[in-house]
Amino acid sequence: MDHNWDFASVLANKTLLLIGLQNTLILGSVCLVLGLFFGLFVGAARFSRKSWLYYPATAFVELFRNTPVLVQIMWFFFAFPIIAPFRIDAFTAATLGLTLNTVAFSSEIYRAGLQSIHKGQWEAGKALGMSYWQQMRRVVLPQAVRRMLPAFMNRAVELFKMTSLASVIAYGELMYQAKVVSTISFNPIEMYTSVALIFFLVLFPATILVRRFEARDTFER
Amino acid sequence: MGYEWDFAVVFRNSDLLLLGLVNTLKVTGLALLFGVPLGLLLALLRLYGNRAVRLPVGFVIEFLRTTPPIAQLFWFFFAMPILIGVEIDPFRASVLTFSLQSSAFFAEVFRGGIQSIDSGQWEAAKAIGMNRNQTLGRIILPQAVKRMIPAFLERAIELMKTTTLVSTISYADLLYQANSIAQSTYRTIEVFTVAAAMYFVVILACSIAVRRLEIRLARSGETIVN
Amino acid sequence: MKEVLRIEGLHKSFAELEVLKGIDLSVDKGETVVLLGASGSGKSTLLRCVNFMEIPTSGRIHLEGKAIGSARNGRIAYGERELTQLRSRVGMVFQHFNLFPHMTALENVMEGPRTVLKCDASECRRRGEKYLDKVGLGWKADAYPAQLSGGQQQRIAIARALAMEPEIMLFDEATSALDPELVGEVLETMKELAEEGMTMLIVTHELGFAYTVADKVLFLSEGSILEQGTPAEVLTYPRQDATKNFLRGHNMFRLPEPQID
Repeated sequence: MDHNWDFASVLANKTLLLIGLQNTLILGSVCLVLGLFFGLFVGAARFSRKSWLYYPATAFVELFRNTPVLVQIMWFFFAFPIIAPFRIDAFTAATLGLTLNTVAFSSEIYRAGLQSIHKGQWEAGKALGMSYWQQMRRVVLPQAVRRMLPAFMNRAVELFKMTSLASVIAYGELMYQAKVVSTISFNPIEMYTSVALIFFLVLFPATILVRRFEARDTFER
Repeated sequence: MGYEWDFAVVFRNSDLLLLGLVNTLKVTGLALLFGVPLGLLLALLRLYGNRAVRLPVGFVIEFLRTTPPIAQLFWFFFAMPILIGVEIDPFRASVLTFSLQSSAFFAEVFRGGIQSIDSGQWEAAKAIGMNRNQTLGRIILPQAVKRMIPAFLERAIELMKTTTLVSTISYADLLYQANSIAQSTYRTIEVFTVAAAMYFVVILACSIAVRRLEIRLARSGETIVN
Repeated sequence: MKEVLRIEGLHKSFAELEVLKGIDLSVDKGETVVLLGASGSGKSTLLRCVNFMEIPTSGRIHLEGKAIGSARNGRIAYGERELTQLRSRVGMVFQHFNLFPHMTALENVMEGPRTVLKCDASECRRRGEKYLDKVGLGWKADAYPAQLSGGQQQRIAIARALAMEPEIMLFDEATSALDPELVGEVLETMKELAEEGMTMLIVTHELGFAYTVADKVLFLSEGSILEQGTPAEVLTYPRQDATKNFLRGHNMFRLPEPQID
């Protein structure tokens, strides 16, 4: 019942944990950048009236929004290599799963953001002789991105939490390192408590920032 | 391109997959059953507790919301038993983790819903002599809950997706069943694809129902709280 | 005449801002008192102190001869239970009605008797129907607030307050949020109440109503009562400049000046 907390064993393995944290941050950042980038195109396609753009984009978004991300990662790691013409390691599988998931969710944020911009803004751009992408890039996106910022940051927090799932396919991120260390040094309590704390310390400031933005937005409205 | 698809193995094991789906729904349902009332309690404490209560409750909510669920699950499954000296099986650990985890999210849904109610409603209830509990129970919550329903159901869907984690501690949910069938039959791609499709069907059906409801509620003049 | 409400030396401050600077006021049974004043003069705050929607900073309020709160080393302490109990005896009607949108008209009116007074089902129903009829909306018993006009909603709100059978009714700019064509029906309801002998304290901008219905008119300026008397005294022959200026701003009491292009 009386447990002797032994955080010394955590500190002794701090190099391994730091490598894990580094991998967590790399995986999360790569997926975030790729996800937000491709999400814009999928979101624009969902916003489009051309059915050959709208329907495939919608199917993609629904597929990835309505299946568990762990299933997506496992599918890319265990199933996909069988039909893929190239080797897939844990990092690639995790990146594929998490990126496509982020594409699907962020495209919905883009779409909602674009829809929130008044039609008159598009028309004003058009009246100046701008092309569709010029209207989007110069007029609509700059306004929409500000409104989308809190949602994107929420998504980023979710994404970084999800990177811990890569531990299931043995990618050496923070959660996986903790699992490995805890089986060697028999300190699961300290290990998993530390992992939770590290995630909290990294992500909580971000959530506070989000709330600031949200508060500012409602104030302006 | 020479891969030959063979779904026959999957159908031969369909009873195992269905059992997995039932277990997935079981964990989700129980986590909802405990998580929702607990979430309401946390929300009320965070809103109306005194300072000594508000701060720790706020911390617990934020902690559960910003740490990965897999770390929480492992903590309750591997770490807690050592701490309290009681063995816990995967099923109980899963229900415990996801009840607590979802309660933190539900607490924020409740809080948002309660705070979205116009202060005039509090005043009107106060003016006819209702106390705080009466006002909450009869005036505020009935209105807030109606507004929260979509956010609520969305959260429940998220919860169902998150419960796939229980497979990592060997609880026989749909994903775990798929994994073990794949390992014994070597028909990995078929099994995982079918399992993914099963999740997709169930979750998409829920999502569509939620969207329908959202539109109906919006039409009846109730705004939606996220 | 029996005194229902007495206010003595009432002060109210919000942080640094002193909104009420010592108000003394007495309202007798069956009397209709109208509070006038520019926005920011403190009239709404005064009204909201009477049923302790705002807690006074200092001063004393007496209802039916009994002082509210208990004096403890120089300050007055108010128990939450005492205040809830007091509020059930003082009716209040708000500018924005604040009907409960998830309840029908009848349920709105029955809510107080049911939850606060713990009346039995038949008594709740009797009161609900009685006061809906009184404001002329018995035929709308099953309608939800969203299905009613603003004027009807406000009359339901009046019925909701009346169903508590209060000793005094407070009206906080009850017609200010209404479209002009709906103001009349609410004022008519209030006038009927006054004629039936209900004790009322009213904040309004409707000078015509004040003139014909009020027994006493008070003019508030910067947190003090500047002038008071019968409607004729205050509205027709104001003595203070502030009152004159205020009345000049309300065109009901003057003819438009001829415009020369």
